[in-house]
Amino acid sequence: MTDTSVSRVRMTGISKRYGALQSLDNASLDLKPGEVLGLVGDNGAGKSTISKVLSGAVIPDTGTIEIDGRTVSFTSPADARAARIEMVYQDLALCDTIDVAGNLFLGREPKRRLAGVPMLDKTLMHARARDMLSNLGIVIPDTRMKVENLSGGQRQSIAIGRAASFNPSVLIMDEPTAALAVAEVEAVLELIRTVSKRGVSVILITHRLQDLFLVCDRIQVMYEGRNVAERRIEDTNIEEVVNLIVGRKFAARSAGHPAERSVSA
Amino acid sequence: MSAEPNAYAGHQPRMREATLLDRTIAHGGVMSIALFFIVCCLFFSVTTNAFLTAPNLLNIVRQSAPLLIVAAAMTFVITTGGIDLSVGSVLALTATLSAASLQAGIPWPVAILMMLALGALVGVIQGYFIAYERIPAFIVTLAGLSVIRGFALLITGGYSIPIEPTSPFVAIGRAWVFGIPAPALIATVVLVIAYIVFNETHFGRYVTGVGANAEATRRAGVDTRRIILWVYVLSGMAAAAAGIILAARLGSGSSNAGQGFELDVIAAVVLGGTSLFGGRGSLAGTILGALTVAVLANGLILSHLSPFFTPIVTGFIILVAIWLNFRLFRGGARGR
Repeated sequence: MTDTSVSRVRMTGISKRYGALQSLDNASLDLKPGEVLGLVGDNGAGKSTISKVLSGAVIPDTGTIEIDGRTVSFTSPADARAARIEMVYQDLALCDTIDVAGNLFLGREPKRRLAGVPMLDKTLMHARARDMLSNLGIVIPDTRMKVENLSGGQRQSIAIGRAASFNPSVLIMDEPTAALAVAEVEAVLELIRTVSKRGVSVILITHRLQDLFLVCDRIQVMYEGRNVAERRIEDTNIEEVVNLIVGRKFAARSAGHPAERSVSA
Repeated sequence: MSAEPNAYAGHQPRMREATLLDRTIAHGGVMSIALFFIVCCLFFSVTTNAFLTAPNLLNIVRQSAPLLIVAAAMTFVITTGGIDLSVGSVLALTATLSAASLQAGIPWPVAILMMLALGALVGVIQGYFIAYERIPAFIVTLAGLSVIRGFALLITGGYSIPIEPTSPFVAIGRAWVFGIPAPALIATVVLVIAYIVFNETHFGRYVTGVGANAEATRRAGVDTRRIILWVYVLSGMAAAAAGIILAARLGSGSSNAGQGFELDVIAAVVLGGTSLFGGRGSLAGTILGALTVAVLANGLILSHLSPFFTPIVTGFIILVAIWLNFRLFRGGARGR
């Protein structure tokens, strides 16, 4: 499926209310096959919520989701997984007391039958976990280690490895580089480029705006639960994105020196 | 520009594969209770003549069969981060009802199946309120403890109901098969199955997952509510099985049976290193914990000490074992 006329994901009119808080207000999202979309906005803008709606973890009050042109309705994360939508959650969603391989395969552990009774195939799990991690360049010496004994970067790597390794068609990454060191961030950005070349659509949520300009095709800005702007990456620059996020002209120092940005302007 | 290339290359990897010692420390809970178990056994072997004899050891397993069976199921419940306080009451209800149904002329295999189904039904009801209505397990099963014991008292009027000693039903509690008491055999079978389910199946993995991070397990596509419902069904059925065995061994069903039984069960599970916060469970630890409690009770009697020392010593051992767990074997207790 690399036909770019049909959207991989089309979300329209998505609203979600938590008590007094209107978390999403008629939000929408469009994603082409192989496209990398940067989703930005202030804290509480609804980025995480709309991505959780797509991953089935949050059920919206209203709105429709189409995957490859077909309307779907996800009632649980299992439905979204079946539609090959994978997500790296901001809180990583790891089980501390389960080992590395167990976390990678959580929810889809390989089976073997012993006298007709289905059991965990731990040997296969550990062998495939080692392959998955080494394919992604993640260094973890022992897949039998419990996740609680790993560093923040290693934990994040496992969350990313889990989402990227099961042949997704949409990969959602919510702050995937927050706990990572410089070299590891580069590896994640490289991973995004690689999978998008294979036709995987990627949604990247990040506060590191410079990363967006390295991998994204398009940027969608959200503000208080609504879409406020959308830009092709070649038509914008960090300064404009910052202004769109905060909703006013803002001489942000974090936007860097003007001379360095004029290339993309 | 590479000023000090040697600073980047030629290091030993900083992480190594887990050694035997690492693994031992990671299983600190089981190690500390194993230590206590061995110390208790050695102590009573030396101080009494009767302790280390085959009949006595078999008797210990025979008497602790209900505890072992329910503790195995309780390990699942506590590993999900829950608790089941109603097991003592379910034991009493099934003990009295199995005696009553035998008296009413119901064939014994049917009576057993009815009791197991009753235990499962209690589990379904409690599990529904815990998993689907999200009422804390402590509250639901505390209510269950009261209601179910009440039914047992109401049905019997507080009297115990005798079982015909000639009924084949009593064999469940009294028979010896290949030189081993039947309750011990039943307990062994239950424990082996529980061990395999806990460690080697998807269900066991998700039980640990729910206790470690329920939301992460749900997002991984697991129906966590069904998992939670099932652990209470298991503990209800285990308590029913314990009630049947107890009634068969004693030859009567008493509505006062199993007062405080739930606390013995929880003590055995916690002694075995299972965390009350969930996510960390060990069936091997639970077996050792239950046997330690049983050995203590037996050994103190053989030492001609008052049996009332049992709760005192058990209580101290719980505290010291968990303390050892935190201090000596820190690895397993990280972050909790």
